[in-house]
Order: sequence, then structure tokens, then C-alpha cells
Amino acid sequence: MSKNSTAFKILGLALLLAFPFLPVISSEYVVHVAVLVMVYAVLAMGLNVLPGFCDLLDLGYVGFYGIGAYTAGILSLNHGVSFWVIVPGAVALGALCGVLRGAPTLRLSGDYFAIVTFGFTELVVLFLTNEIWLTRGPLGLPGIPPVAVSLEWLGIDWRYDFLSEVPYYYLALFMMAVVYVAMCRIEDSRLGRAWLAIKEDPLAAASCGVNLMTFKTVAFAFSAGVGAAAGCFMAQWSMFLAPDVFKFWESFLVLCMIVLGGLGNINGAIVGSVVLIALGEVLRVVLPNFGLPAETRFLAYGLIMILIMRFKPGGLFPTIAATSKKSRLILELKARLQAERTG
Amino acid sequence: MFEQQLFNGLTLGLIYALIAVGYTMVYGVIELINFAHGEIYMLGAFLCITFIQALGIPLFPAIALSMACCAAIGVFIDRIAYKPLRKAPRLAALITAIGVSIFLQNIAMIIWGSRPVPFVRAAVPKVFGETVFTLGSVNVSGLQLFIYAVTTAMMVGLTLIINKTKVGTAMRALAQNPVSAALMGINVDRVISFTFALGSSLGAVAGILVGMYYNTISATMGYNAGVKAFAAAVLGGIGSVPGAMLGGVVLGVAETLGAGYVSSQYRDGLGYAVMIAVILLRPSGLLGKSVGQKA
Amino acid sequence: MKFKHGLVVALAMAAFLAVGNLVLAADVIKIAVPTPLTGPAAGYGDNVKAGVAMKIEEINAKGGVNGKKIEAVYFDEQCDPKEAATVGTKIAGDKDLVAIVGHLCSGAHLAALPNYLRAGVAALSPTATNVNISEKGKDAKGQTWSFRNVYRDDFQGVFLADYMAKALGLKKVAVFFANSDYGIGLKDAFLKQAKANGLTIVGEEAYQEKSTDFTPQLTKIKGMAPEALFIAGYYAEGSLIADQAKKLGMDVPKFGADGLDNADYIKLAGPAGDNTYLTTPFLAETAGPEAKAFIDAYKAKFKRDVDWMSANAYDAAGMVIEAISKVGPDRAKVREYLAAINTKDKAYKGITGLTYFNDKGDCEKPAYVKMVKGGQFVPAEKQMTK
Repeated sequence: MSKNSTAFKILGLALLLAFPFLPVISSEYVVHVAVLVMVYAVLAMGLNVLPGFCDLLDLGYVGFYGIGAYTAGILSLNHGVSFWVIVPGAVALGALCGVLRGAPTLRLSGDYFAIVTFGFTELVVLFLTNEIWLTRGPLGLPGIPPVAVSLEWLGIDWRYDFLSEVPYYYLALFMMAVVYVAMCRIEDSRLGRAWLAIKEDPLAAASCGVNLMTFKTVAFAFSAGVGAAAGCFMAQWSMFLAPDVFKFWESFLVLCMIVLGGLGNINGAIVGSVVLIALGEVLRVVLPNFGLPAETRFLAYGLIMILIMRFKPGGLFPTIAATSKKSRLILELKARLQAERTG
Repeated sequence: MFEQQLFNGLTLGLIYALIAVGYTMVYGVIELINFAHGEIYMLGAFLCITFIQALGIPLFPAIALSMACCAAIGVFIDRIAYKPLRKAPRLAALITAIGVSIFLQNIAMIIWGSRPVPFVRAAVPKVFGETVFTLGSVNVSGLQLFIYAVTTAMMVGLTLIINKTKVGTAMRALAQNPVSAALMGINVDRVISFTFALGSSLGAVAGILVGMYYNTISATMGYNAGVKAFAAAVLGGIGSVPGAMLGGVVLGVAETLGAGYVSSQYRDGLGYAVMIAVILLRPSGLLGKSVGQKA
Repeated sequence: MKFKHGLVVALAMAAFLAVGNLVLAADVIKIAVPTPLTGPAAGYGDNVKAGVAMKIEEINAKGGVNGKKIEAVYFDEQCDPKEAATVGTKIAGDKDLVAIVGHLCSGAHLAALPNYLRAGVAALSPTATNVNISEKGKDAKGQTWSFRNVYRDDFQGVFLADYMAKALGLKKVAVFFANSDYGIGLKDAFLKQAKANGLTIVGEEAYQEKSTDFTPQLTKIKGMAPEALFIAGYYAEGSLIADQAKKLGMDVPKFGADGLDNADYIKLAGPAGDNTYLTTPFLAETAGPEAKAFIDAYKAKFKRDVDWMSANAYDAAGMVIEAISKVGPDRAKVREYLAAINTKDKAYKGITGLTYFNDKGDCEKPAYVKMVKGGQFVPAEKQMTK
């Protein structure tokens, strides 16, 4: 075991180190898929805050993704605003929408919360579809300019447009790293502990002096803001937006990622997005080799999802999921809650 | 025109209600949002026309056979996919349900093709297509009467089963407290299977009625209907059977009146807006029991 | 240790992805056909697949192109812009794929197009009708890489408005449109021309694609008592609209564009489908012997009547293969060849008539009107000739 484990550790480390160099060795397609994985990893990490940390089932996460994407699309296409200006703006707008959605749902629990989030997203998508004056509706927004780095505002005539997949790859890597580090820091902070306390036992958490309203609202804002950031990136990466991109299914997909990876775990969210996005593409490549037509791709996809949950109900990587349960922090928290209750 | 719109809404709502009942019963018993239920509804319709076309069975026996098959499929899915996850985290079963839904939709697409198929016209009694009587400005067709009769009969039957029979009592006991129910000697697995069978056969009937009424069946029809019915079930108070019926009708009427008088672009949105408003005002749905914060 | 196992699985997946591209180069020429094969639009994708498959089978039966067999590689993109963009990078990166027949949906085509411009591979869509595509098909050097052998939405909208007002002398029309790029594009063009022609538009209602209940909107439209109903959408919903309109007691002529042109329209609408007029690129009755042969062969092979998507896809594949046979399997040369089909004299003669492209890759084709009568498509009595 130890021998194996060392080998695996080295392999894993090598993989991690090699990851930034992926564009050098592989084709545009692989890089594109890798970027897609990272966009979903960011979404998954953002969504994870609600069902993972606070035990609130959010079925409408894609709404914030859409709000971010359309903010970026409209501002950059119609008003020529730079990506770097849009991102903070869109994140703020997303967070605001998150709070607006969250405020009336604070007293809802369980599946009633879930269905309201779902209804909210449907309304967002309908807004994007029907307010043609703003979003061009189903005609979509073609020709969104790519991300650019420019020094023109300093008076220096230098400009770099992101015209291939490679710069986006590094931008996505950067975005993912920022969100990852932020999530890890938050998990370890008073905020993260409060969220976990709410998840474990809202009543006890409240009695320990955790203000449920405040902390849940922060969770809504944070989660929505991360989704909007991913949306901004998506808009200027794909250069085309249509309301169809933000349909209900996407919310499910992201939810599947965090459950599959191990609910409530930051690494798990990333692993889940790697698995589900890669699975779709792997099946695309592999199935024809077995003589199966392209039509069977989602048949296999559904089947594999069932099988994973059947044999790994705790997620594909229960060890990852379990790490959060093993952490000293949480054990202490649980002990404290227990003491609070009995005492 | 208003009567006509109200009437349209009622027909649509009753169909939603019939599907919503399946969601709500399963939820009541095992707290699972069975997203594959919409696919059962689709399979019901396809199986029915297959029995009529391939085996030459008349309409009504074909409906019965299709109900039986869907009941079996429902039980089978539960045994294979959900049962092993009873003790797993709740979301695991939810994801499995999504997986089952994807799987069934794609297998139907492979078996019956991806284009919409008309219902077998020849098998449908002639009177169904005709206007039976006129009520004010509303024309009522034989098929609409049939839909009303069938849905009402199903609902009454279901209420009787739940309230008057032994298995119905067991279902209610299970919904309240599965552990105590098991201790009282209730065969939990059998009751759950029965619930799936009952819900799935109602879903099949809904699929067949929709297929006949709109004269179209497609492999992707379960998705939209499933989502609407799910919304209806929650609106009425998930876990409550009368709630699901009421929720379906409210949703259908809201949608229809919304499309007729407010904006056809925001048709679905109005249904959802009503749903959100109801839930915000009554956090456990129209007829749901207040569950409170689960500690 | 489980995580490590997972890592291995993930690694294996990555490896698969990396080598998946390295398909052995055999003695075949490949063209890419990105189209929806799963999901809600799969039925339309199947039509395109059928048309392409027919053409390729036919060419290969004659010995292929310059001794090499043609092979179509189908890519499932579900009509979804996100999937289309992924598929787009895959196609663009695989140099064995000489040209593209696709995409089916305008949104998917627009999403994938930047990849094709960057990599330099021509895409010929048999079905994407959105007006926007015209402006987005050129690369930085001004070369057009996106072509289509289908009308733009605005052409058909204008054509139908003219037909209603000038050929049939209608006065009062209601519009029922799909809330999609296709439906809105068609509706907007129609409304503009209809107003110019002095038609009164009495109702303008939208519906969601994939829905089955249209009675609320139709009830509203019925209250306005229109003389005709213009259905801007596809046959899956259009047939149900015709059926439900009839059930509500609104028995008026229906009009539609190529979206309604499918034998399934009649099958699904039943007797309610009668008295529907629609635009079509070719009339089976007046088409040449080649088209007749195609129609019969199609029916024998797929057990259903041909539809315009299959016919357009058949011609699109035909154009691409002709280009390959003339200039060889070279991406840039295939594009040059297609771009050079720019006048009526150089037009490609397919079963849907003569096709040639303008500077933006859009095709210019005559349109005919056919109608449903007694459960059959027949040429309309009045045609409009320009």
C-alpha cells in the first residue's frame, strides 16, 4: 500500500504540475474541454456553498451564471466595456440578485426552497428570452468580443486579444485558482464554520449565536457572485450567448457534479466537474469505437450516473467527502453543538 | 371567451394533477423527488400505441396493459436504482433519479425514434373527437369528457385506497414515521413498491390521455410535463395527495389565463410566479403540513 | 486509497481524450456532420443525417471520389450552443475532416463558427436560417467560410406576406410564432412586409417550442376573427396548432414556411392539416427526374416521405463532395470552390433546384408554394414568380 501510495502521490503531483502545460502538448479540442471543465469547476465550487455548506438544495444556480454571462455579453458587445471592468460589476450584480432571491426564501426549508430557486431560474431564462430589446431574446448575442489585455488606457499602444483557446486556458486556470483559494480560506474562517454549523443543526447553531439570516444571506451572495463570474468568462470565451444555454438542465448538471464528487467538499466539486464533463466527451470518442452510434451517448451517460450512485452513494470519492467529516474543525464543532444541546 | 379559457385551463390542470399525484405519493413515502416520473408518463403513452399497433389490441385493454407495464417498470426502477440508496444521503437518490430519467428518455428515443408520433387515430372511438355539447360559448368534446371522467375516477379511487384500505393506512404510517411503521409490522418494502406501482400507473394514464388529447407523443415529452407536475406537487404541498390535485389545477388555470390575458411569452413564467407567491405566503404549499425546520 | 483509484480513472479518461483524435488515416475522405442526435431536436437531426447518408451511399456505390470512399462522421451537438462549440473545436482540430455539412440550428452554427474561421474549414449548413449568420461567416481576411443552401428567415417571411396579400388577396391575418430564433426571425420579416402590403395583423401570439397545449393563445386569436393564421414555427408544434385551432372551431387557411414542410405535419395534424400553405424550395411534382428518383429511393430506404431538411442535406453533401472531387481533399481549396459558385451559370444543380451563393455565403433560390389538400401535399394553384 505504501509503495503504491507513494507512486500515486508522485503521479498526482506530476499531473498537477503538468496541468498548466497542457496546451503545449495537446490539441485545441482537449484544451477547449479542459477550459469547459474549469468553468464548471468554478460553478460547482460556487454552488457547493448552498447545498454543501448550508444544506440548502439550490436547483436554480444556472440563473446567476446566466445573469453574469448576459451582463458581460451586453456590456462588451454594445458598449465595448473591457472584461476586467465587467467582472467585478457582474459579480456584484450576481450577488445582489442572489440576495434578492435569497431574502424571501430565508424561512423556507428543504424542497420548498429548492422549488423556489427552480422557479426563479425559469423566470430568469424567460426574461432573457422575452426582453428582446435588451438581450435580443432567442436570436442570441453573436459576435461578443474576446477578452483583451490592453494598455491603451495608459497611453501605450499595446493590445493582446484572446483569439485562441490557450490564453483562455490560463485565464480559466487563474479564475479557478482564485475561487479555490478563496473557498478554502472561507471554509476555515468564522464564516465557513458558521455555514457548517447551520448545515449540521440550524437550531443549535442559532442558539450558539450564529445569526442564521446574516450568514445565509452572505452564502446566497457569495454563491451567486461566483456563478456570475463564471458566466462572464463563458460569455467572452464562447463569444455567443442564447437563452438556451441556461436551461434548467445545467443547474442539474452542476448539482450532479458536487454530489458525485462528494457533497460539501471543495476538491470534490472540482473532481465532479472533471468527471462529468470528461465523461460526455470520452463517450463521444469511445462509443463509435465499439460500433455504437452517437445516439447512444446519453444512454450510457445516464447509466453511468446511476451506477456511480448505486455503488458509491457517498459520491465517487467518498474519501474526499469524508475528509470534511474527519477534519478537527468539524469534530470540535459537532462536539460543541452536542454539548450545547445536552447542556 | 373567459369560460373557454377557464375550461382549457381546467383540462390542462387535471392532466398536470394526474402526473403530480405520482410525484407526491413517492415523496410522501420515501422523501424522494422522483424525477424519472415524467419518463414513466412518456413510456405509458408509447407502450399504449405499441400495443395497439403491434399487437392489435383495442384501446381500453391497451390502456390497462400499459398501466400494468408502467407499474412494473416503476417498481423495477425502485428496486434496482432507489432501494439500495435508502440509507444514503438524500441527494444521492435525487441524482440517481436524474440518471434514470436521462436513461429512459434516450432508450425511448432509440426504440421509438426521435420524431413525434401521432396517437393511433383509428383506435380512438369516434365520439371522442366530436363536440358532445355546447356550454355557453364552450364546446365540450367527447375526449374532454372522458378526461374529466377518468381523472375524477382515478382521484376518487386513489383517495379511497389511501384512506380506506389497509395498504393505504400503511402508506400513511410510513409517511409519518418509517421506523415506527416498520416496528408495527408493516412490510416497508412492499408498501413502497405498491406506492411506485400506483403512482406509475397513474402516470401512464396521464401520458395516454395527453397522447390522445393532443394527438402527439414524443420521447422528450416527459421532461416538460414532469417539471410542471413537480411544480404542481410542491405548490399543493408535497406529500399531500389532495394538494397535488389542487396544485395541478391551480397551475393549469394560472398558466392558461396568463397566456390568454397577460402575455403568451411569459406563459410558463406566470405559472411559476403563482407557485413562488403561494410558497412564499404559505411555506408548505396549499395543503401541505407544516414540517418546520428539520433538526 | 479510493481517491487514487479515482485518479487513475480520471487519468485514463484524459488519455482517451488525448489519443481519441489520432484516428488512423485510412483510404477515405471524411466530412463532418455536426447535428443534434440526442435531446429535443434529435428528430430534426435525424432528417439531416438521412439526407447526408443517402448522398454518400450513392457516391460510394459509384466508386467514391477519385478512388476514395467518402465517409460522414456524425457529431452529436443537441442543438446546444455549448455542445456545438465543443464539437466545433474537435472538428476544427481534426485535419482529416475536409469540410462540414452543418450545423442544423442557427444558434449552434453561430456558436461553432469562430472555430471554423480560425482553423479554416468550410461549413455548409443545410438548415440554419437565422439572418445573423450572414454577418458572422467571414474571417479577418474577408473570406467566407460559412455557407448555406437554405433560405434566410427574412426571405420566406417577405415571400409569404407577398403571397397572402398579392396572390390570395387576404386582408386580416393572425400570427402565431415560436419563441425561438427561427420563429422570431420569420415573424419579424413577415410583419414588416405585411404592413407594407396593407395586411391587418389582428393577433400576435407566441408559444414555447416543445409545448403541446396552444389553446389559450388560439382562443385569444379566435376572438379576433382572422381570415388566416400564419404559423411561424416547426411542424411538431405547427401540426398541433392546426389541430387545436380546428377543435376550437377556427377553420381558416394556415400558412407556414419550410419549418412546416414535413410529411409528419399531415400525420400529426390529421384532417386539420388541410388548407395549409407553405413555402418550399422544390415541388416534387415539377422537379426533374433526379429529384423523383431521390424521393422514391428515400421512401424505400427510410419508410417515410422525404422532407426539405433531408433534401437540403442531400444537396449540401452533394456540393461538398463535388468540391472535393474537383479540387481534392483540401480544406482551403474546398472553400474556394464553394465560394466560386456565385452566379446562376455556375450554380450547383441539385434536387432542390439550382444553388449558388452570394458574397456572404447565403444562397439564392426560387421559392414555390405548396398546400395540403386531402391529406396530401400538392402544388398550390397560385404560384408567385418573380
